[in-house]
Amino acid sequence: MSDTTDTPEVPRAEMEADIVCVGFGPAAGGFLTTLTRGLMNEDGTPVAESAVVPGMPPQVICYERADDIGFGVSGVVTKGRALRASFPDLDLSQIPMAHEVTDEKVLYLRDPVGASRRPAVFKLADKALGRWMEDDAFELPYVPPFLQKHPGMVFSIGQLNQWVGGNLMGTGMAQIWPGSPVAEPLMDGRAVTGVRMADQGVEKNGTPGPGYMPGMDMKAALTVVADGPVGPVGQHLDRALGLPEGKHQREWAVGMKCVVDLPEGCDWQAGTVLHTIGYPEPEIFGFLYVYPGNVASLGIFVPSWFGNPVRTAYRYMQHWMQHPYLWKRLQGGTMRSGGAKSLQESGRRGAPFLCGDGFARIGEGSGSTNVLTGSGVDEAWATGVMLGESVLELMKEGKPYTRETLEATYVARRRASWVEEEAKVAEKSRDGFVSSVVKGFIGMGLTGLTNGLINMPGSPIKPQDRIPTIEEYYKGYIAEGEVLEIRAECARKGTSLHDALMDRVGWPQIPLDGTLLVSHQDALLMGGKVQAAPGYGDHVRFADPYTCEACRERVCIEACSGQAIYTNPEGGAPLFDREKCVHCGACMWNCSKSDLKDSERTNVCFRAGSGGLHSVEN
Amino acid sequence: MSKVLYLAHTECDGTLHKSALETLTAAKALAEGLGGELAVGIIGADVAAAADSVAGCGAKIYGVSGPDFADARYASDLAAAEAVATACGAEIVVAPATSRFSRALPGLAVRLGGRVDTHLSGLAVADGQPVARRWFYRQRMEGTLTRSERPWVLTLDSGIAEPFAGAGSAEVEALTVDVSGVRTKVAGLECPSEDQQTIRPDARVLLVAGAGWTKKQADGAVHVDVAEETILNFLNATKSSLGSSKSLVDISGEGNAVISFLTHMHQVGQTGASPRHAKGLSTCCHGEEPHVVGWRFISERRAINTDAGCGWAQGKCDVLYVGDAFEIMKKVNEMLG
Amino acid sequence: MSEFHIVVCGSIVPDPLQTLAPVEAPTGWSLKNEMMLPAVLDPWAGHALYEAANLAKKHPGSRVWLVSLAPKAKLQQVMMAVSQKAPFELVVADGSASGFTDSHETARVLAETIKGIAGLETSKMLLFGGWQSASRGSGAVMQMVGEMLGVSEQFQGVDKLTVHDDGAIEVKERIEGGSYQNSLVDGAPAVFGWATGELPEPPNNPQIGMQNMQKNMPALMQAKPADLSGTTMKLASVAVPQQRRETRVVKDAPVDEMAREIVEWLKS
Ligand SMILES: Cc1cc2nc3c(=O)[nH]c(=O)nc-3n(C[C@H](O)[C@H](O)[C@H](O)COP(=O)(O)OP(=O)(O)OC[C@H]3O[C@@H](n4cnc5c(N)ncnc54)[C@H](O)[C@@H]3O)c2cc1C
Ligand SMILES: Cc1cc2nc3c(=O)[nH]c(=O)nc-3n(C[C@H](O)[C@H](O)[C@H](O)COP(=O)(O)OP(=O)(O)OC[C@H]3O[C@@H](n4cnc5c(N)ncnc54)[C@H](O)[C@@H]3O)c2cc1C
Ligand code: SF4
Ligand code: SF4
Repeated sequence: MSDTTDTPEVPRAEMEADIVCVGFGPAAGGFLTTLTRGLMNEDGTPVAESAVVPGMPPQVICYERADDIGFGVSGVVTKGRALRASFPDLDLSQIPMAHEVTDEKVLYLRDPVGASRRPAVFKLADKALGRWMEDDAFELPYVPPFLQKHPGMVFSIGQLNQWVGGNLMGTGMAQIWPGSPVAEPLMDGRAVTGVRMADQGVEKNGTPGPGYMPGMDMKAALTVVADGPVGPVGQHLDRALGLPEGKHQREWAVGMKCVVDLPEGCDWQAGTVLHTIGYPEPEIFGFLYVYPGNVASLGIFVPSWFGNPVRTAYRYMQHWMQHPYLWKRLQGGTMRSGGAKSLQESGRRGAPFLCGDGFARIGEGSGSTNVLTGSGVDEAWATGVMLGESVLELMKEGKPYTRETLEATYVARRRASWVEEEAKVAEKSRDGFVSSVVKGFIGMGLTGLTNGLINMPGSPIKPQDRIPTIEEYYKGYIAEGEVLEIRAECARKGTSLHDALMDRVGWPQIPLDGTLLVSHQDALLMGGKVQAAPGYGDHVRFADPYTCEACRERVCIEACSGQAIYTNPEGGAPLFDREKCVHCGACMWNCSKSDLKDSERTNVCFRAGSGGLHSVEN
Repeated sequence: MSKVLYLAHTECDGTLHKSALETLTAAKALAEGLGGELAVGIIGADVAAAADSVAGCGAKIYGVSGPDFADARYASDLAAAEAVATACGAEIVVAPATSRFSRALPGLAVRLGGRVDTHLSGLAVADGQPVARRWFYRQRMEGTLTRSERPWVLTLDSGIAEPFAGAGSAEVEALTVDVSGVRTKVAGLECPSEDQQTIRPDARVLLVAGAGWTKKQADGAVHVDVAEETILNFLNATKSSLGSSKSLVDISGEGNAVISFLTHMHQVGQTGASPRHAKGLSTCCHGEEPHVVGWRFISERRAINTDAGCGWAQGKCDVLYVGDAFEIMKKVNEMLG
Repeated sequence: MSEFHIVVCGSIVPDPLQTLAPVEAPTGWSLKNEMMLPAVLDPWAGHALYEAANLAKKHPGSRVWLVSLAPKAKLQQVMMAVSQKAPFELVVADGSASGFTDSHETARVLAETIKGIAGLETSKMLLFGGWQSASRGSGAVMQMVGEMLGVSEQFQGVDKLTVHDDGAIEVKERIEGGSYQNSLVDGAPAVFGWATGELPEPPNNPQIGMQNMQKNMPALMQAKPADLSGTTMKLASVAVPQQRRETRVVKDAPVDEMAREIVEWLKS
């Protein structure tokens, strides 16, 4: 390791700001919008002086890992309560790919191919609802209130972030730096004193190479952690500080989606919102939102409690798109771009310490996302606004950013907010899924309809403990011996195991058409493609290679949203190709083994990295 | 009556390049279409032979020659072009988009107070006006354009017309141009030797090698030596040009087994070259979109891949041979003798 | 040691990873969703900028300007990334960076903008740029800017530049067929249209970024609108070619047969 004598000793640079923010998503957007608006008094003098550049207003820096501030992946349909409060005169026509919600439907999709693993109740429903179905879909007579987004709006998160970021930079009060992954927080005991950027000019394994530039340390009185569901700074804090008593983050989902140019004559109007349940597997939810200009954003969520160890959300999405109800209107369309990202579905139950000396956490990583209502954008924005207001308050009073002052301002605001109130309702809604899908659905409905009074009992299990072996999952469908054969065949040919197994249990082949149904690789290359900046180390690593070597499920490979993790032909731990990774973070929880050193985590380490998806539409 | 000036420069051996002869055909057609007059200007160390080779076009020929004009050099080439254009009162200047003229002629537009459009992929006459065609956004879309500013300088990419044929004995009006103030000296060329030469822009056939050549084969082993030999034998037998996928040239950075004669200059595709050849044969390459966009100017396309589901199968080539390129190419080489 | 005033002309282009489609509006042709697409610094101009910064570092006292004709809101976003890579002084003309504008108009605006740079000494000027943009791809703008500024020592497709002790500059230009031409010019002023150059893309250095943005934000704010209207050029049509072919798949045929077919085709 250390015979790097030819690598010159490069000193680590250090700078100072007043506030440093990690990640630029809706949470940071809400925070910076609120903060920058309040930094100057009416008379043009700053409300407080910068501690690091005397005479100037506070210096506010935000680091975003992606190559552009618009490279997010999300839905989005939202009631937009907090957004509207920040922008009372919001004119959606000023933001590309935004529209009022005009029509909202919940659809139960019957299995048209006979390969879906349906519990008896679903089979019954498939039959019983049959005569009210159109194109194998049953439209729920009304949208349950907890799912309703009407009145509300649909957005592209990329366009929303670009719009917010453009406005922010125009004020000159905050700098948002894209292409800047933050490696970790700088800690002093339980306090945070700033952040350390990722090293550059390193080999895959992180050792210095030619052009080595150690990541800079940016010190700040306040570090705002807004790095989303799988952000490494938030994860680092969770490890270092532990989670509050009784909290754990065991519920996840990966959202796999695409943006599609709808075919001419498609009868979906802008503002149409569809939620689907029931197909391709009962555990998989679908969404479809229609933008102006005959464009739709659509996709599925594959949750951590889906029992199939060989899963790629991509193929499931293709089957879902081909469901007769959707296909009727999608056929002839063109895929513009695809994307994937994890959702932290533990919500309030996974909420970490919201603040401490020198730091505060906002957005999905702080447990703001509401699983019951399926929304996180407005919630994240709202938490950012609350922190922004609190920071302004502390600034004006000249108080430091300590655990006490932040508790008294920010945390107090959160506890009193609608985000918290609704999160409490949602907290238990999904427990039912732990034992079975059916219970899960009933549970979710009960929780939603009774406002959280009645819940299906069940306590969340770590994803890695839930994943069965392939043989277990296919018991009764494919004989053990045959699974072995298929495995061997796939290993020899280097082809995907999940495809072979899905084919075997009756999923039809995907009729690739080169425009809407394209191979997984081609999807990564369409529209906003995937790219990795040179000079960074691998951000996905395997904690203990021997654990991988002994692992038979290899969920990480089958589940990878970018086909970036693949079998090492020489055996041993899987290989990782940074060039293909979309930074969805799904590998972090799609692993069947615990980290030997930390049983709450899996054997995959997901760190800070640059690059990924280049699309501002998703 | 519009005056169309056709400009060319000689090659080191005093002849005109094929692309220059193609451009003459286009220039002549343009002059005729506009009912205008064609003039020819040739620049080079010695222009007599070149002038003779196009004497049959019937136009008046101007020449700027001498050792100062032997090498491609912005200031002297531009001065020569300016002298010819001024002497004949050119309204439209048509020239091949060689590296030499691509460097020099945009400046001519400024000197003459005119405009320039470069790298045309087509030139025609409609409603008595010249209509130019060219690519935009790295060859992703093609547009047609007209303009009324004159003089209008146009450079043409190769392949848009048949080469002009019509030699004779030419009378050249020699123009003297003073370039004593030019501060640049050409020191020489660095050319890969004929044997090492694997990029051959004028070849009829492009052979593309993909990363499959360096991958483990059915027997579980890598056969880079065989791959190299097979590829080289084919290139030698056919004098084809060699192209590569990005993956194959990138692999060299990772300490893997590599094809030794490939560099990034060989890469075909979105972030590589878009070469022009009549035929293209792809081997061991998956045919992904970023690669295949570089095949835009390859007319006939065939591919060999073990995978029937590879990208080429999706309407990206005319014929896909599903088979082992090691075996098939070995046989091809044998048959080529 | 020579001291250079290096002016780099470079604008923004749509991120090359995006799918592009042309659309026609009453004002002319543009790209579909042009203002929505993420943008990057034009790649070859980017190489020019990194080479410029490197040259300036080796020749103390040198200065580097980046002159950009681009819509300033978009340029601001791109500058957040580019600013981290190399130190430069930004000079902005606020106008279209579209590939469909007349190269002459682009050159005229750039030349006028360069003439307005305070402290720029023509005798020390090295005019850098990409040899072709990824938008228009004309490979004509730099020459015209040079002519308009009276600089007629020019080089295109430059991959290497070496300054000799006597101040002479050795240049390596790309020509046909993978070959190079080497030339020597006795010094500034001169024009260099860069190809890839020799330097890798520099890492993102947040320190350089912050230093740059302090001086460059005002330049962005104060950018004046550029007038590109002096042209009669009309694009009648712009279209993306259809490339889909009818593919014949030859499967399960003996190797000999496939080889024979290929050889026949090659010879035909
Ligand atoms: C497919 C999908 C569909 C969804 N649909 C909806 C919907 O319809 N409605 C809804 O309300 N919500 C929806 N959500 C949820 C919503 O997108 C999230 O809850 C919301 O984006 C969270 O905002 P955030 O700001 O907390 O985090 P994020 O949006 O995740 O932003 C975090 C940012 O931090 C950056 N970052 C991470 N690590 C680092 C680092 N080390 N250094 C620097 N930067 C870093 C990331 O790149 C990212 O830009 C959906 C999510 C998905 C995946
Ligand atoms: C932004 C961006 C830009 C890009 N630009 C380019 C570009 O300019 N040019 C480019 O090429 N790529 C480019 N790519 C990469 C491109 O997407 C592909 O990854 C690359 O072209 C794949 O190269 P390949 O087909 O050689 O390798 P692979 O994908 O590894 O394919 C190897 C192929 O060889 C076949 N094979 C193996 N053994 C045999 C055998 N014995 N006989 C026959 N067939 C065999 C396999 O079936 C397989 O199809 C770009 C990607 C991105 C993201
Ligand atoms: S990362 Fe996890 S799932 Fe993947 S091989 Fe290792 S232990 Fe198995
Ligand atoms: S390797 Fe990248 S693309 Fe694959 S699951 Fe992990 S984060 Fe997602």
